[in-house]
Amino acid sequence: MGKAKVKLEKELYEKIKKIAEVAGYSSAEEFIVHVLEKEVAKFEGADSEEEIKKRLKGLGYIS
Amino acid sequence: MVKEKKDEALDRREFLKLLLGTSAGLLLSPGQAVLRTRGSRDSGIKVIVLGFDGMDPVLTRALMQEGRLPAFRALASAGSFQPLGSSIPPQSPVAWANFITGTNPGGHAIFDFVHRNPENYLPVFSASESIPSRHNLKLGRLILPLSGGEIRNLRKGRAFWQILEDYDIPATIFKIPSNYPPVKTRQKTLSGMGTPDLKGYYGLFNYYTNEYKAITEEYGGGGRVHDVYVIGNRVEARIPGPNNPFRAGNPETYVDFKVFIDPVNPVAKISYQDQEFILREKEWSGWKKITFEFIPGQSVTGICLFYLKEVRPKFKLYVSPINIDPEKPALPISTPEHYARELAEKFGPFFTKGLPADTAALENEVLDEKEFLAQDELVYQESMAMLEHELSRFRSGLLFFYFSNTDQRQHMFFRLIDREHPAYEEKLAREFGQVIASTYQQMDRALQLALDKADKNTVIIVMSDHGFNPFRRGFNLNTWLLQNGYHYLEPGVKPEEVSLFQGTDWSRTRAYGVGLNALYLNLKGREKYGLVRPEEKEPLLREIAYKLEQLVDPKTGQKIILKAYLSQDVYRGPYQAEAPDLILGFNRNYRISWASPLGSFPRELLEDNRQKWSGDHMSSPEVIPGILLTSRPVKLPDPKLEDVTAGILSLFGIKIPPEITGRNIF
Repeated sequence: MGKAKVKLEKELYEKIKKIAEVAGYSSAEEFIVHVLEKEVAKFEGADSEEEIKKRLKGLGYIS
Repeated sequence: MVKEKKDEALDRREFLKLLLGTSAGLLLSPGQAVLRTRGSRDSGIKVIVLGFDGMDPVLTRALMQEGRLPAFRALASAGSFQPLGSSIPPQSPVAWANFITGTNPGGHAIFDFVHRNPENYLPVFSASESIPSRHNLKLGRLILPLSGGEIRNLRKGRAFWQILEDYDIPATIFKIPSNYPPVKTRQKTLSGMGTPDLKGYYGLFNYYTNEYKAITEEYGGGGRVHDVYVIGNRVEARIPGPNNPFRAGNPETYVDFKVFIDPVNPVAKISYQDQEFILREKEWSGWKKITFEFIPGQSVTGICLFYLKEVRPKFKLYVSPINIDPEKPALPISTPEHYARELAEKFGPFFTKGLPADTAALENEVLDEKEFLAQDELVYQESMAMLEHELSRFRSGLLFFYFSNTDQRQHMFFRLIDREHPAYEEKLAREFGQVIASTYQQMDRALQLALDKADKNTVIIVMSDHGFNPFRRGFNLNTWLLQNGYHYLEPGVKPEEVSLFQGTDWSRTRAYGVGLNALYLNLKGREKYGLVRPEEKEPLLREIAYKLEQLVDPKTGQKIILKAYLSQDVYRGPYQAEAPDLILGFNRNYRISWASPLGSFPRELLEDNRQKWSGDHMSSPEVIPGILLTSRPVKLPDPKLEDVTAGILSLFGIKIPPEITGRNIF
């Protein structure tokens, strides 16, 4: 899988580096990828099949 | 014209309908019923019905013999005690619907927790459906609803309290399952199982922690884990709310909150909106209100509980599913509408989510056994207070009152009374092995309240919808169908990676399993890609049923399925055609697997159940009948749920309507 570069302001990057370290990530990159993956997931299909599954799983009988 | 429609859209109730169109599905207008009667006749006779979900006759009898259920024993001595035949299948929504309507699933159209849409084969919740608003006005990124959405109770048939209403006999129906949204009536009813949380789920907790293990996990419908950072003794996070129907894409709403941790003591202050409160470690907050804003002037309020599980070394904060606020219900949860508000005024906020116990939090070890029970104890105490209140003002007619604790705790603690269960743990069993027995004793105290209230004109009925048995082994129905040439996947598809039948070759597939006990044929003229011709239906079903009934678990030597029922043989009524084609009645200790109900194909045909959810009730009904205790002797042999309904109507001198298939028990 290919990779793309994204430019960040140096000041923001320094903050991210510090938080990533405090939170126990192995690198700033790992932290950024994790945060972005979670944000992206929010926009993927609110009524998707995954959503159907989640709602039904709340019944307790299905995992 | 647009102005008029916009105003209509911004009407609170209309607007809220839309809200659940995108989340749970929303609002009905049950309170607008036109009543033919006032429901106020003094009936002379009074009937109190206590519904203890899942209370098992074998366990009940054993505890009665040990002298641990004195009120049960007193009632049984004065009247009668026997098993109560459950529904096919013995799932709560089906069973309680049998009781509500006095019929069988062919008469009320609830066949399983989960049905399927034959147009796309996808599972759907059986009890209600939400229909989003069809007309919207888009203004930039805003979407203004021009007409209301709707949520529908999919149970058909008339409820027995509607029939009582025809005869002017008052009734109060407290949290009976299979009644969401509550059907139209002027009787007092509060909805129970099936009522969603404010997000439209059947329970979505939030868990905030900096524990690494949980950082990347998200628990399906049961809950959501938020990884947070403790920086300078402070945590900042957000509580997700319902989706916003006024914004393009219906983004999730949220409320930001802050936690200030005491640098020395295990104490924290939680702050959001106008709320500010302090919790010690291991302390529950009590109900807190929370408001989610959609656009200025439009918001919705819910209630939730906070639990500060741990301050140090790891931060762990649990927030319960956001319940609908009974004081200002965003969804229809009672009839008349003011009944919920009236209870809230007397008792303060209370659990409104259908099944309040957070089984998902225990399953995922967000709450441990003790913490789970602490929360469910709040549910019990709340129910007891409300039962006492309703009994104190009960003068005439019928009072039905429901308890969920028996069902929920048996689901989670059966592993600790069954030494052969794959999830049995000796240490936990020593600590929690008495949970089920003590829960039954709590029901005994509820019954005592009713006995204390009863006079010579009162008939008391205690009932459960089904019993319980261990869930030791799970059966992968779809895997079996695949292995036996009834189901086909597209070439190259790996069965164990399939979910929701993505990868099924419907041009060759003849049968599929959706739901907890149901099997459907891929029937021509019914399913989108149906291929089984109507004349092939019955022979094929009998062939599959026969094969399923012969299956033996190589590990135990036991049959897996006692009886595979053809729905055409066991259901009668106007909705029979909507039923699954085959209903599986599992043997004791067996159940459908965790993954098969949603169209998955795990590798193994049978699997040990190692989860905390360890007791269940998907057996053949004769394996797990419910209980029936009455203060008046029961004359009908082998009574069933729908017979109790006929008995109640008969007590009030009402002629049994022809659509009721139950027989008078008295």
